[in-house]
Amino acid sequence: MSELFDQFVVEAQELLETAGGALLALERDPADRASVDELFRAFHTLKGASGLFDMAPFTRLVHVGEDTLSLLRDGRRGMTPELADRLFRALDQCARWVAALEDTGALPADAAQASETLVRGLSGVSAEGAAGGGEAAGETDAFPWVAALAGEDREAVGVAGGVLTAIDYRPDPDCFFTGDDPLALFRRVPDLRWLRIEPAEPLPPLAQLDPYRCLLRFRALSGAGVEAVAPAFRSVPDQVRIGSVTLMPAAAPPAAPPSAKPITMAPPGSLAAAMLEEQARILDLPGSAAERQSRNAAVTRAVTAILTALGRSADRAVVAAACVDSRTLRRFLADGPPEKDPAEKPAAAEARPASPRRALRVEPERMDALMALVGELSVVKGQLEPLVRRVGDGELTRDMKAFSARLDSLVGDLRHAALRLRLLPLARVFDPLPRLVRDTARRLDKTVELVLDGAETEADKDILDVLGEPLLHLVRNAIDHGIEAPERRAASGKPPGGTLRVHAFQDKGGVVVEVSDDGAGIDPAAMRKAAVAKGLLAPDAAAALGDDEAVRLVFAPGFSTAGSVSDLSGRGVGMDAVRAAVERAGGRVEIASTPGSGTRVRLALPLTLSITRVVVVEAAGSFYGIPVAVVGGVQRVPRAEIRGVKRAESVVLRDRVVPLVRLRRLLGQPPDDGHGHGHGDGHRDGRSGGADCVVLAELGDGPVAVAVDDVGERADVVLRPMSGVLRGLRGYAGTAVLGDGRLILVLDLRELL
Amino acid sequence: MPIRYDADLARFEAACTVEDALPLAEWLEATAAPRVDLSACTDLHTALLQLLLAARPTVTAGPEDAFLARWVGPALGVPPSPGGKPA
Repeated sequence: MSELFDQFVVEAQELLETAGGALLALERDPADRASVDELFRAFHTLKGASGLFDMAPFTRLVHVGEDTLSLLRDGRRGMTPELADRLFRALDQCARWVAALEDTGALPADAAQASETLVRGLSGVSAEGAAGGGEAAGETDAFPWVAALAGEDREAVGVAGGVLTAIDYRPDPDCFFTGDDPLALFRRVPDLRWLRIEPAEPLPPLAQLDPYRCLLRFRALSGAGVEAVAPAFRSVPDQVRIGSVTLMPAAAPPAAPPSAKPITMAPPGSLAAAMLEEQARILDLPGSAAERQSRNAAVTRAVTAILTALGRSADRAVVAAACVDSRTLRRFLADGPPEKDPAEKPAAAEARPASPRRALRVEPERMDALMALVGELSVVKGQLEPLVRRVGDGELTRDMKAFSARLDSLVGDLRHAALRLRLLPLARVFDPLPRLVRDTARRLDKTVELVLDGAETEADKDILDVLGEPLLHLVRNAIDHGIEAPERRAASGKPPGGTLRVHAFQDKGGVVVEVSDDGAGIDPAAMRKAAVAKGLLAPDAAAALGDDEAVRLVFAPGFSTAGSVSDLSGRGVGMDAVRAAVERAGGRVEIASTPGSGTRVRLALPLTLSITRVVVVEAAGSFYGIPVAVVGGVQRVPRAEIRGVKRAESVVLRDRVVPLVRLRRLLGQPPDDGHGHGHGDGHRDGRSGGADCVVLAELGDGPVAVAVDDVGERADVVLRPMSGVLRGLRGYAGTAVLGDGRLILVLDLRELL
Repeated sequence: MPIRYDADLARFEAACTVEDALPLAEWLEATAAPRVDLSACTDLHTALLQLLLAARPTVTAGPEDAFLARWVGPALGVPPSPGGKPA
């Protein structure tokens, strides 16, 4: 099963849950607009998502649900318990289907029939309210001839499908002159079940018949959905009506809705009746003896509760005796031996409990709370060590030390585990790419082979969310502007089909995604010219740009390289948006391009947004964190190499003159006179030999050397933004707790400088 | 010419287009008991179908093309077996 499909299953479960909750709220308060909207959205999303897969009965059912809800939303229909029952039944059915999808990857064989029954229930309800119609369903009213189909035609159509797409095509009489061939259009109708060709008006005698005037009318039924049928008639939208209809079987309905069964203990059609019916169904579920036993107990509790709520006497023992199997329970509920509904059996057998492998979805707030607790735990644990030291020597101390060490490693593991909870494979963002590449390439008449690599690389869900859009954009962009048309490629001796490679891997505690193509590349000269033409740069500034810098101009706001703006990506905002999104998440974008042989864009993102890797530094006895993302290096610089011009200092690092700032001064601490006398921990080793500890920070507008008293370890920390009165404090990204429980302030050097 | 006229029998062959409409109309009108053979017809333009529906000639052989056999044949009085020919 594809990732997409798995995702659908998980999402559908979530949506069904949401819908169930909203429906409950709505039934309690029919004026609750938020719930109507939520319910509508859930059905709408389910419709869209299920449409991606071959599960017409599912899509059909949620589609009709959506229609019903839109009536409700527009106030054209009021909420009634009957309607709620039917919607619940539809939700339950969907949940069973999703469970079946998860288990077998397909809808059960009788899905179409079940869908039809439920659709009829829903449509019946909406029709009563909207049109006052009786058993009409869907848009059947609009195609009266469907209902009038004779028996043998019905047989030919096959009633099993139930829901069909009706086509009523009355070609324009002059259509032959415009090159139309109405009959030919029906060759393109998928799953054509029935077609009738009739004169729209009595045909005149042959002698008076104008052979170039179309007097025919076409009526047809297809088993495919409206969306699948409509494209065949795209050229004649004004002459055709296409709609979804339900073909009523000539005989009685194949399966009565579950509520029709005689549960006399609850009002027929009520929610309670449906719930009791559901209990009977549960008893029919397959399972081991132990499973059945616990299920029976649960059913007994539920039935007792429902009966009590209905004001019926419910002696626990009597109920328990009835809850041994569905038959006995039904008989008990019906207060007499009910006729076993033949359609009931397969439906019950097909119902499955929600799969135990279901993915666990956790609210982000809970995750954050867990992370915070882990942080607190680290702090408390950090206080244990000094205590142990105070105990002194002896056997007790030894034991306590061992205990402390064990606690240490457990807390470490816990931190790690908590961090990992949020990691998901990049496959999630890779999944839409193949389809995107196919569609985009097709539209542009290019041949592009997509090579995906590293889909198993993991990153935080937040990072994946950040990555999704930019990645789509880069891929579109590469196909649109990078990879040349086949003729151009052939002319420059390349294979006609281009290759687009998306490669993800882990690097230095972050995740890197590279999008590279073997296309035309970016011409730095053209970039310079374009930058000047667009007024982004003065001509001499443009000329002074190195080739790499010129190529980087694609990320400048308002820049578009292609000569023509295509409808796909060339609006000049794209690459800028990519850069902005990635940098917002604490990442970096790099681009390398060789004219004639291709372009590579590299997105480097931290592994997670909630964890920041920092270098711990010390200044005036306090500890601070500097995000590793901006740290280009750490080194000791002999005092003699620091040049001072008035108060400004600079140092030559890696052949560059870099301004030097002292963290103490930035933080408003008393300056360290640098001669090593009497500042406590500040210069244990860092200052020996008259050298300064310098952190090279790579900031947006160039490197800066930051002199600190000492540099400690690198640590992954959970960055907590400043809150309360501290929120206004500039220069700090937040606070964090180190693994040993020390609290540090994490610096935002961009703001501090 | 995709339609070959042979006294009172018209043989439809391959794709029969709207250009055949006028000759067919004239032939149908002029022929006392027209018969048509659709077996080799792969595509029948609506205009031709309309003429056949109006004139109701005897169909000596139904179309073998699956689409035509299933959906057009019956309208012309040919049993709906694919490629079926009247006994």
